[in-house]
Amino acid sequence: MLEVLKPGLETSVQDYPGRIGFWNQGFPPSGPMDSWSFRLANVLVGNQPGDAGLECQYMGPTLKFNRNTVIALTGADMAAKLDGKPVPLWQSVAVSAGQVLEMGPARAGTRCYIAIAGGIATDPWLGSRSTFHQAGVGGMNGSALKAGHIVPVAAGTGMAGRTVKQSARPPIRTDKRWDIEVCAGPNDDWIDEEGQLRFLSADWKLSSKSNRTGFRLDGPQWTFAPKATNKPPEHGSLPSNIIDHGYPLGAINLAGQTPIILVNDGPSMGGFINPYTVPSAAFWKLGQSKPGEIYNFKQISVSEAQAMARAMKATCSESSII
Amino acid sequence: MIYDEPRYMPGGDRYMLIEFGNEMNLELNFLAQGLASAIVANHVKGVVETAPCFASMLIHYEPEEISYDDLKREMGRLIATLGPSDNIELPSRLFYFPTAYLDPWTKAAIDDYTAKINPEKEYDAAFVARLNGLSGPEQLVRVHSGTEYWVASLGFWPGLPFMMALDPRCVITAPKYNPPRTWTPQGTVGMGGASTAIYPVATPGGYQIFARIPVPIWDPKRRSSAFEDSICLFRPGDRVKFVPVSVAEFEDVERQVADGSYEYNVVGYQKFSVAQYKSWVAGLDRTKRF
Repeated sequence: MLEVLKPGLETSVQDYPGRIGFWNQGFPPSGPMDSWSFRLANVLVGNQPGDAGLECQYMGPTLKFNRNTVIALTGADMAAKLDGKPVPLWQSVAVSAGQVLEMGPARAGTRCYIAIAGGIATDPWLGSRSTFHQAGVGGMNGSALKAGHIVPVAAGTGMAGRTVKQSARPPIRTDKRWDIEVCAGPNDDWIDEEGQLRFLSADWKLSSKSNRTGFRLDGPQWTFAPKATNKPPEHGSLPSNIIDHGYPLGAINLAGQTPIILVNDGPSMGGFINPYTVPSAAFWKLGQSKPGEIYNFKQISVSEAQAMARAMKATCSESSII
Repeated sequence: MIYDEPRYMPGGDRYMLIEFGNEMNLELNFLAQGLASAIVANHVKGVVETAPCFASMLIHYEPEEISYDDLKREMGRLIATLGPSDNIELPSRLFYFPTAYLDPWTKAAIDDYTAKINPEKEYDAAFVARLNGLSGPEQLVRVHSGTEYWVASLGFWPGLPFMMALDPRCVITAPKYNPPRTWTPQGTVGMGGASTAIYPVATPGGYQIFARIPVPIWDPKRRSSAFEDSICLFRPGDRVKFVPVSVAEFEDVERQVADGSYEYNVVGYQKFSVAQYKSWVAGLDRTKRF
């Protein structure tokens, strides 16, 4: 068990790949935004890569451990200290009963992951422990951690002193610019050629009006192909309106002129086009970026995106541990 | 237009969108629902889940088990086995909801949007009425509440129904907000394109909003027997009728919901026959509004 002394800005229980199989009722998967860092944290402490752990956003929590265990921190650097002594990232660390882990604001990156040997053992909801904040389900009674929460942890036998090799860690950028892979589609043919070139060459700034449902981007205006304006009225009258349809996770959803990347807690359906989709293996970059930072999109093929996901899965394994 | 051949489009490394046509009609929704059922019945390898909607279906697949091209071939084969929709009869429950049209709560959400995001925004009811050649908000209420709605799919938010007006004389269309609202009251009834939806909880949204129901349509705690089977009230193929009530009546029902005495007003014994529906529609004068 661990006790929440300070909750941090928004610290939540998540597992990977999250709540799968309920998209047709409108339930998003939730789960960690940077699943690369998340899975490696679990591997470090001897858990399955998808076991439940904590996602800390922007400002980490202060936690007290009620028994001896092994933990690992990955992802963003939140200057974690255990009883005042710095805790290294990307390494499994022994913790004694009564010790306090104190974390601060994110320095490099945005989201830090905490895995605990055995994994967090809150009650699963529809097959997953992931927190879906907006609907109040999963995790600790459907919410982010609050001061005073006692978070249950399953029994586990982790080993301290294990490290993720440098080449297996996500290269978190600190220059406020991110190159993000996208695949064309499903609705890239609604954008004219100039609009497509503009999307792929422009600087897109991540808006502060972003959260785990969607990442809003500020950038140039979009221009459209004729099919966006010559269409039956039930599509709606804006060029980016389409008859409501299912949204892929990662879709770059064009709400009027505002592109919104639909992330882990995003909507499953709606009436806007999705000209591009961020593939699963590029999600970690979204998770580690901050509002105000710049995205540049780089188009890759579906098979390249699938190869990236395979490579990442292989990386999130024992082979990356030294 | 219903396409001769469905269109297949990729969405990143794990999704495929199949579009059956370019309009909203029940035929296309039956096709989407039919394909979703066929995928389940045939245990298609590598399909993680599907999300059928008005005229399309999204497939979430596992690329380590099936390639995009193989999935496309498999879907083409299944679609070819689906029969004509005229034969379809579906169990279809009919829900009646007390509905406060032109209510103070959606007005407050619009006022907040106007103050903070877009000062040019016209009141939704007046805007939608004008766009559809209606005399004003009062006629919009009459037309919008004058039909049963068909639950074509659930999505966007857990339990949120996307619905189509079954009476073609009541079909109205509306653009969506640009940019979207950051919040919408729980139970809000709104529309975008030609679809009507009910917001299960307070969420952001893009539909034009002009009414609210006091009755929950999803409940993760399952406090009412209406949620015994699922935490979502609706299933595809259900129908909904909005019954205009005053704010005082709305608040009375809200109290009944809060103290657990509210009984859902639902007709459970009816079947929906596609052939009978089509023959009824064929006899209507579609130019007449209520």
